[in-house]
Amino acid sequence: MRSVHIAVAMIGIALPARAFADAPLAPEMSADRPVMCLRDASDQVWRIQCDPRTRVCLYAPNEELDSTGGRVKPLERARTCELDAPFDRAGMEKQGFTFIAGRVDAPYGWMRDERQRVFQVNFDLRRRMYFGVAYTPQKVLDDPLESTRTSVDFGLFVFDYLQGGRTPTRHRLRLFEGEVHMEPFSAEVVIAHYDVSHKFMDPLLRITTFVGEPSRHDLVLDLGMWSEVGSLELHKTPMGNSQLWRHATAQVTLDLWQSPNLDSFARIRTGVGLEGQRDDVNGYRSAVTESSAFDLDWVLDPNGFHNVRFELLHELPRYFTPTATTPKLAQRFKANLQYEAIILAINDQPLTLKLAAGGEKRDDLPGVPDKWAFVFETGLRFSLWAPPRAKS
Amino acid sequence: MGTAPGQIVALAAGVVLALAGAARADECTGTSSRGDRFATCFDVGNRLAVDAGSDGLGVGIALRHRITFDDDPDLEWKMEHALVDANYSVLESRFTGTFYSGRYLRHARDGHVLIPIGGTPTKIFLPFDIGAIFEIGHLDWKQEVPTFTIGVLRVAPLIELLRSKDYKRVLAIGPAMHWDMDVDREFLMTTLHTIAPFSEGVASLRLESTDGLWVTEARLEAGSAWRSDRGWHREARASATLEKIVVSVNDRPIALTAGFEYDSARNETLAKIGARVAVLERMDPRVSIRPLQPREVATPPPAEPVLPPVPEPAEPPMIPSELPSATASDGAFEAPLLDHASALAVIRAV
Repeated sequence: MRSVHIAVAMIGIALPARAFADAPLAPEMSADRPVMCLRDASDQVWRIQCDPRTRVCLYAPNEELDSTGGRVKPLERARTCELDAPFDRAGMEKQGFTFIAGRVDAPYGWMRDERQRVFQVNFDLRRRMYFGVAYTPQKVLDDPLESTRTSVDFGLFVFDYLQGGRTPTRHRLRLFEGEVHMEPFSAEVVIAHYDVSHKFMDPLLRITTFVGEPSRHDLVLDLGMWSEVGSLELHKTPMGNSQLWRHATAQVTLDLWQSPNLDSFARIRTGVGLEGQRDDVNGYRSAVTESSAFDLDWVLDPNGFHNVRFELLHELPRYFTPTATTPKLAQRFKANLQYEAIILAINDQPLTLKLAAGGEKRDDLPGVPDKWAFVFETGLRFSLWAPPRAKS
Repeated sequence: MGTAPGQIVALAAGVVLALAGAARADECTGTSSRGDRFATCFDVGNRLAVDAGSDGLGVGIALRHRITFDDDPDLEWKMEHALVDANYSVLESRFTGTFYSGRYLRHARDGHVLIPIGGTPTKIFLPFDIGAIFEIGHLDWKQEVPTFTIGVLRVAPLIELLRSKDYKRVLAIGPAMHWDMDVDREFLMTTLHTIAPFSEGVASLRLESTDGLWVTEARLEAGSAWRSDRGWHREARASATLEKIVVSVNDRPIALTAGFEYDSARNETLAKIGARVAVLERMDPRVSIRPLQPREVATPPPAEPVLPPVPEPAEPPMIPSELPSATASDGAFEAPLLDHASALAVIRAV
């Protein structure tokens, strides 16, 4: 036992107090390998992890350091380690092991700096609360300093839940999500949204071709469901105000492409909904609306920093009674492309840059010409929560 | 004799437990002259309260809880929610209420900014917590006004400066966004939108005494907002309330309240006083109305001295030849020859 203590003391003496440097980050210990905690002669605890394959031992202080290298506080999000286990540094050096200053390992989605401080580097923007502000010029020639084209967007609760396994299912819940544009005024709010994607294991059809070598081709139908309740859309037009309530909409989805954990997908969906529209010209009218859409939702990188969304929507409201300005059957087209990237995080809560371009064509609003109108916006979003993405 | 130390230990443990319970209860538990216990601390953040005052009758549900993480004990979310916070004034025929409002504060041991530029993200440390205010569904309805106002959304990211571990001290500032709309009561059509796209600032203060008897909350919002009828304009709102619990009935507190509200958009300043009754309230965990009772350990009755059984007096051998064959020389046994009475006296003495 005495020899162990001597060995530990020798380790401590040999390890420099300033185990960090301004140079590139020291190597990080592996989260999958065991780590030991050893006490040095001055009663300081060090973490040591040795790799018999490379014959390298990484060591790091078992506490966070201040800018001068002093130990200030316990490590955050660190594994427990066996304290004062037998360790013979001299013997290991005789076996060819070298000792290198390193960093303590961090959990998945986190990393440590040279002072052993931990911070999040992987974000799941499908689990968050967010709000943002954007500048939305109507035309490129608009004065960008004219702030009436400001818009805001928000989402009280964005939550994806993945049921894993061989046939995973992803549930997506959104509560009170929407955006408001100031001039000309328009707003859209969805009170509750839920959709679900499922990866089916067994194909609906399997086609075998016998031209050349026989081969099998599976046709998998990854069906799902999409629904919204309580959507409100407001517009201010040259002929007054218009408000559109989509009371409820239900659609069937078919995923054309899915990522393994279903957080990225391309799909088409179609279904019906019930809506009511009131404007200053026609008063109130109700409609049954057939709607179809193509959605692309794509997380471009493993850490969730780059996200692309695209939606192409077509709606056919069939009014129960025609009005003076619109026929019994109206049409709405809408397209929106959005790119969102994390630019920094404040207390591990990401701030993202949003770039979006969209267009709309509709004939249900009195005073709005039935032609495509395009907008482009760029802005910032601040998100709360956004934990690390699930490890795939 | 073998069980006596165990009984003593159990008794001591019971006494220690009882003392520990009393010591914990003393912090927030009062005792009447008859020995009955009552709460002296109140969890004012978890309750269903009814208000009556100069501004009418009101009701509100308050909830607060923490979200903690096993892998990071130094991080927690302090969540405060207010549900269906409503008030109706009979004198003014006016209804105001908010469907939901929440304040979420992320309390961490360290505050920092992460800048993910280059291969190695950079971390800059900041001395504050962060959080947000989120309110949806505010309604202001007045009989004499042809429109009512719906506060669709009010949201603000927050920087919290006091970094308290509990809910009792909050000082937070941040940019605020809100979207309000006026709706025509007859046609149910929106007639006016007011939007502040994070062009206002908000400061929020909450101070609560340790025992919950005093609570004060203040909020100030000011900045520029855009109106759909006349564009940008300045606006400001301020509110403050003070609540003092003065009595409790069945440990449900009744408080006196005072406060004021100012709104530049309505050109209105309102002072109010009233009383607040907590119809339902979570018992403060520090209160011990029914303290832990020391385990009843029966004191063992004094042990009767047990006399060893008195053997029947052996008949003295009649003749020496009937004695055991052992002899004194082997040292194994040497019994003096006693008569019956002497033997009995020796045994009792033992």
